[in-house]
Amino acid sequence: MSNAKNPLHIPSPFQADNAVLTEGQQEQEHVHNVYQAIAPHFSATRYKPWPVVEEFLMTMPPGYVGADVGCGNGKYIGVNPRLFLIGSDRSSNLISICAERGHEAMVSDGLSLGYRSGLFDFAISIAVIHHFVSPERRLAAVEEILRIVRPSGRVLIFVWALEQSGKRDFDKNVQDVFVPWALPAKPAPKKEKSSKGRGRKAKRAPELTQEAEQEAEQEAEQETEQDSSTTSSVTTESTTKSLTTPPSTVVENADSSAPEAAPVFKRYYHLFRQGELEDLVMSTGKVKIEKQGYDRDNWWCIAEKTST
Amino acid sequence: MLQCHVKGCNANNFPLELQEVVLEEQEAELNEDFLRNMLGKLEYEALVATCLKLNIQDLPPTIPEDAAYNDDFLQKLHHALLETHVITGKMVCPNCQHTYVIRDGIPNMLLAEHEV
Ligand SMILES: [Zn+2]
Repeated sequence: MSNAKNPLHIPSPFQADNAVLTEGQQEQEHVHNVYQAIAPHFSATRYKPWPVVEEFLMTMPPGYVGADVGCGNGKYIGVNPRLFLIGSDRSSNLISICAERGHEAMVSDGLSLGYRSGLFDFAISIAVIHHFVSPERRLAAVEEILRIVRPSGRVLIFVWALEQSGKRDFDKNVQDVFVPWALPAKPAPKKEKSSKGRGRKAKRAPELTQEAEQEAEQEAEQETEQDSSTTSSVTTESTTKSLTTPPSTVVENADSSAPEAAPVFKRYYHLFRQGELEDLVMSTGKVKIEKQGYDRDNWWCIAEKTST
Repeated sequence: MLQCHVKGCNANNFPLELQEVVLEEQEAELNEDFLRNMLGKLEYEALVATCLKLNIQDLPPTIPEDAAYNDDFLQKLHHALLETHVITGKMVCPNCQHTYVIRDGIPNMLLAEHEV
């Protein structure tokens, strides 16, 4: 019951329960179900392309065919119109948003993509691999991306960093965590504001300047943060309970005196240490690292496929 | 571009056969670089067979020798690849008969856990 020690915007340690759920089922509950539920709100906060990704896409030769594996709301798909970028995501609700925007996208699991091998000139995996709950599955996810890329094709991967020092300050000893996502409270006074944001988003906001977009994105992110902190107590036992009694990815507000509290979802993340992403990618034995770096709380690398 | 990925289904697993299809045509900007790039990736005969099933009859049975610079051919390829959208339908694996559903223009390639 320690609000102060465990406010909702602070992550809590992930406690795997392999006795009850398979790794796939844990991802189902703490990744897939969460994104299904938060898709519209998540999408409304995700539309500014990250510069490293944008540059990667803009420097690809025209006509190149790429896969955006775990494309979310498809914010990278239209970045370079001279490319043919196909999106896939495990969340059908996020893919529906892609489709509404006229993007080529399908529902597919990152561990078993339905694409033919060696088809793609390049692939991107932005903020995806950190959602797999074991080292074996993270490796399998990288292997699957490499499978669909042709030899000498390049892959850009972004994962969340343990060392990030922005709005979240993670315990450097805990790499597997739940990170809360708070939906906006329903009839809250913010409603007008947030639905306006969503409306702008849905129309892909061609009239917005870049700065305005950035501002709106920050606004949306702040909103999430605010909602997290205004929503009160989360009981610590629900961390473990939620693993054993689905569907309880939603942490209900325990304080009944706050009737319109927002539902809070706990997303699973594996936070990567410095060097861990490169080690993971190199362990396939199929690539060489071309470039690597740290950007916006993420470790990233560009790898070139050298063998099949 | 798609193949069946049911566990153990590794041969003769594409092209997936389209069935009960509803098509929609939508104009798209011609991207010659993309089309030329696709020439090296396509299973052309499979594409033609699929198109014929969908009543798209303007692709020649074999790739013209000058395909990369044959404007007429590229236009037809463009139409088949980028302007013809399957809104509703099924994709059936020629090997194991697994069926993938397309709804609202979105293919669903998910498999049940035991199929992966
Ligand atoms: Zn099959």
